Amino acid sequence: MGKKRTDLKDGVSRRAFPIPRSEDTLYEDEGGDRDLTRRGFLGGAGAALVVAGAPKLGSSEHSSAGAVEQEAPAVPQTAIRITVNGTEHQVNVEDRWTLNEFLRDHIGLTGSKIGCNRGECGACTVLVDGEPMFSCSTLAVWADGRDIQTVEGLESDGTVSPLQQAFMDYNAPQCGFCTSGQLMTATALLVDNPRPTSDEVRSAMVGNLCRCSNYNAIVEAVLAAAGTPGSGGAP
Amino acid sequence: MSSTRAAQQAGQQVAAMDTVGHDVPRIDAYERVTGRATYTRDVRLPGMLYARVLRSPHPHARIRSIDVSRAEALPGVRAVVTHETHQLIYSSGSIAGGQQYNDAAKDMTEHVRYMFDNPVRFVGQPVAAVAAVDRYVAEDALQLIEVDYQELPFVLDPEEALEPGAPPIWPEGNLALDRDNQPRPSSRTSGDPAAGFAAADQVFEDRYTTAFVQDGQMEPRSALAQWDGDKVTIYTPTQGISNCRHDNARDLGLDDHQVQIICKYMGGGFGDKNGSYYFDLIAAVLAKEAGVPVLLELTRKDDWLGTHGRWHTVQNLRVGVAQDGTVTAIGLEGYSGMGPYLRRSGGIAGIEAYACPNVERVIYPVHTNRMVSGNFRAPSDPQGYFAIQSMMDDIAYKVDMDPVDFALKNVIRPTDEVRFTNYSLDECIMRGRELFDWESRWRPVPGSDPGPIKRGAGMAFMAFRSGVGPSSAIVRVDADERYTLFVGVTDIGPGAKTTMAIIAAEELGVPLSQVDVVWGDTDLCPYSVGESGSRTTTMTGYAVVQAAIDLKRQIAERGMPRGVDVLIASATPNPSTEGQRRMVFGAHFVEVEADVQLGHVRITKYVAVHESGRILNPRPAKDQIRGAALQGLGQALHEDLLYDARSGHPLTAGYYGARHLTYLDAPEIEVTFIETDDGYGPYGAKTVGEAGIILGPAAVANAIFNTIGHRMKELPITRARILEALA
Repeated sequence: MGKKRTDLKDGVSRRAFPIPRSEDTLYEDEGGDRDLTRRGFLGGAGAALVVAGAPKLGSSEHSSAGAVEQEAPAVPQTAIRITVNGTEHQVNVEDRWTLNEFLRDHIGLTGSKIGCNRGECGACTVLVDGEPMFSCSTLAVWADGRDIQTVEGLESDGTVSPLQQAFMDYNAPQCGFCTSGQLMTATALLVDNPRPTSDEVRSAMVGNLCRCSNYNAIVEAVLAAAGTPGSGGAP
Repeated sequence: MSSTRAAQQAGQQVAAMDTVGHDVPRIDAYERVTGRATYTRDVRLPGMLYARVLRSPHPHARIRSIDVSRAEALPGVRAVVTHETHQLIYSSGSIAGGQQYNDAAKDMTEHVRYMFDNPVRFVGQPVAAVAAVDRYVAEDALQLIEVDYQELPFVLDPEEALEPGAPPIWPEGNLALDRDNQPRPSSRTSGDPAAGFAAADQVFEDRYTTAFVQDGQMEPRSALAQWDGDKVTIYTPTQGISNCRHDNARDLGLDDHQVQIICKYMGGGFGDKNGSYYFDLIAAVLAKEAGVPVLLELTRKDDWLGTHGRWHTVQNLRVGVAQDGTVTAIGLEGYSGMGPYLRRSGGIAGIEAYACPNVERVIYPVHTNRMVSGNFRAPSDPQGYFAIQSMMDDIAYKVDMDPVDFALKNVIRPTDEVRFTNYSLDECIMRGRELFDWESRWRPVPGSDPGPIKRGAGMAFMAFRSGVGPSSAIVRVDADERYTLFVGVTDIGPGAKTTMAIIAAEELGVPLSQVDVVWGDTDLCPYSVGESGSRTTTMTGYAVVQAAIDLKRQIAERGMPRGVDVLIASATPNPSTEGQRRMVFGAHFVEVEADVQLGHVRITKYVAVHESGRILNPRPAKDQIRGAALQGLGQALHEDLLYDARSGHPLTAGYYGARHLTYLDAPEIEVTFIETDDGYGPYGAKTVGEAGIILGPAAVANAIFNTIGHRMKELPITRARILEALA
């Protein structure tokens, strides 16, 4: 697992994955065998690791080292072309991966957060072709051909965006866990509507929860970035 | 401090300072707005596994047997642990209510809580855990664990739980044991309640209830454990790395120095995280078994049901009042639903804000088969203040007094017996009345607006402890005149790291930009009291002042260090207020609009006046009050955890179910600080973080009464309840 992850990071550092040939997969361990089952693959990798270091498994008589390989359906994969913060990636992704898993676990962009993993909180919000989307509820394969922007892509030439600066100046993050999502929704709002009223800000950002309940300050920050007057609270 | 009442009333005027008291962006603001801030789940260790926890689907059941063989055989599974493989006692989760830092109390408790318990006593209690090569395998493996449960009768309601014949959750019954292992309520009597009630011209009795409120911080809990020989490093979202280390070391059978806790950023505190949690232990055990690092991630539902929230209460109140409106006696019989383990006190606060000397309080912390209750921001307060201040508000109308006048007549004030480091409660109330324009917003006849949209106003006031106590800090200076501050804070949201740097810069007389802060790692930082009880500013901040004073002395004696030399100072002060009460004060005034056809309530004005001593960093301080007040509104109008009475299953776990506030529900909170310096803490700074949440439910409930003319006695005050009251 660790080796795979390292390989992936190398892939990112090359700025783009090579165009996938049929035998290319995100997991090099699979060696291009498209018929290899997920269970079989995991079992194989697992046995190696168990030999390497894992001792006993509690008081159980069983251990995975001695487990009989189980047949399980292959994990379908799809080759996608996806642009993230201006960098194009051509990769095979497992069909079950959410966009958030792809971003956080496979290309190392951990700025977007998982708060609920079920579309309730908005901490995972990223922009898909400029539209704010819950990346926990968007499959990576659906992002094929799309342009993704995450919080890591808001700076340009090492300078924070005016909205990021306003978030800093107006204390918009308290614990900061929802902040990336708030920033992405507000970024999209200001593109669509550069001078929103405070009502329009609240309405646009209703899908982003903040349990610190710093809503007043976040609205003030967005209004400041837009240069529009208004109060932070709902009328 | 002079001991005269006049001096207590005033405190000292605050004089302007160089860094303290000016708006300063957080020193880590850049990390927070660029995705660079590293939360527990953002840490990646080579070869790490992912873990999931199997949880009880039953509110009360004995595990007859548990078969993990199929899970262990699943390729990719590296470790499976259950109550059969690991019988670790889990921390203070047993019965150390209010005694969570007291090892002696933990050692003697008879209600031991294990990492995995048998029987299981609530839906969501951990039963087993799996570490596997990825999340998918871990989740699949949970499905393969076969547990044979013998279901047991269960009880959800704290009053029913005390009735004869109620299903016993512990052999001793359902009244929680006190620290002497006795099933006794928490009782406290002051003055002469019987004489006080006898002296009353009228005695009022009423019953109020409050709902369970999940802390609901945005970051679902996780723990990443990595062993190096006999030392374990645990990355975990904690409010107190020092206490977290000590708890985990004790439960794992290690010495403190064998445990390293790292918490750089964490996604919201809100209480009861100043210590360990069972998932730290599970991650550590799985990592030991698997021989590689393990990241245990709680799902949102795991977190909602498997952690804690504010205890729900039933409060029967009795208040005696003399003809002139003076309260002569107060009686409280309270029931706090604690779930099956007494994680915290179950206290009910609020009566202490009144001058009435004759008080009888009996509080029953009761076990139920609901999820565990624990501390949430001002643990005993919003629920207690809601009840007592609704009751007093109601009495004001019944004795034909303006509620503000009734409050001013009965608030606690300094006396020869009751001494404060400073006192400003009456000033907070009067300032709030003026800023809010009470005279024009309050309706002398409740519910008198013609409707269907009606308006009205209510208020509430509070006095909340702001302790002083021990904590540590280290400060170092090098030849480049970089000052490095080592403090064991984790910065759960209020900006503690920045506050500590501000204090150091002020005391050292250097610009903030010359101060670096090392935080969030027990291998690098000295003891810190932890960010609970709003203590970091007052206690760790005071240690920073003392360490800086010592460093200045060293510099004066020896000159600035040269070359590779450094000067280092440390301090662990343990100040005392010599019997005086150190408290913060506040008053909230709320105007609401109620649609009597739909039952919908909207907040149209919210004024919060607070005295928290000197304010060190104004903008974050204001946002602490604003955010806390909004959380209080959520408790007042929305939040609950409903259970199905037949199955014992929770029905509203999660943000949608609990109906947490969104932008559309969040009114502007107008905050005013009255600043003063009582001579304690760093430059007279007192508690801020918890104070703002205390008054929302009471003030909103009182405003709703003034608006619709019906007293709402149950939290949350939902549309359905309003329509029922109006029907």
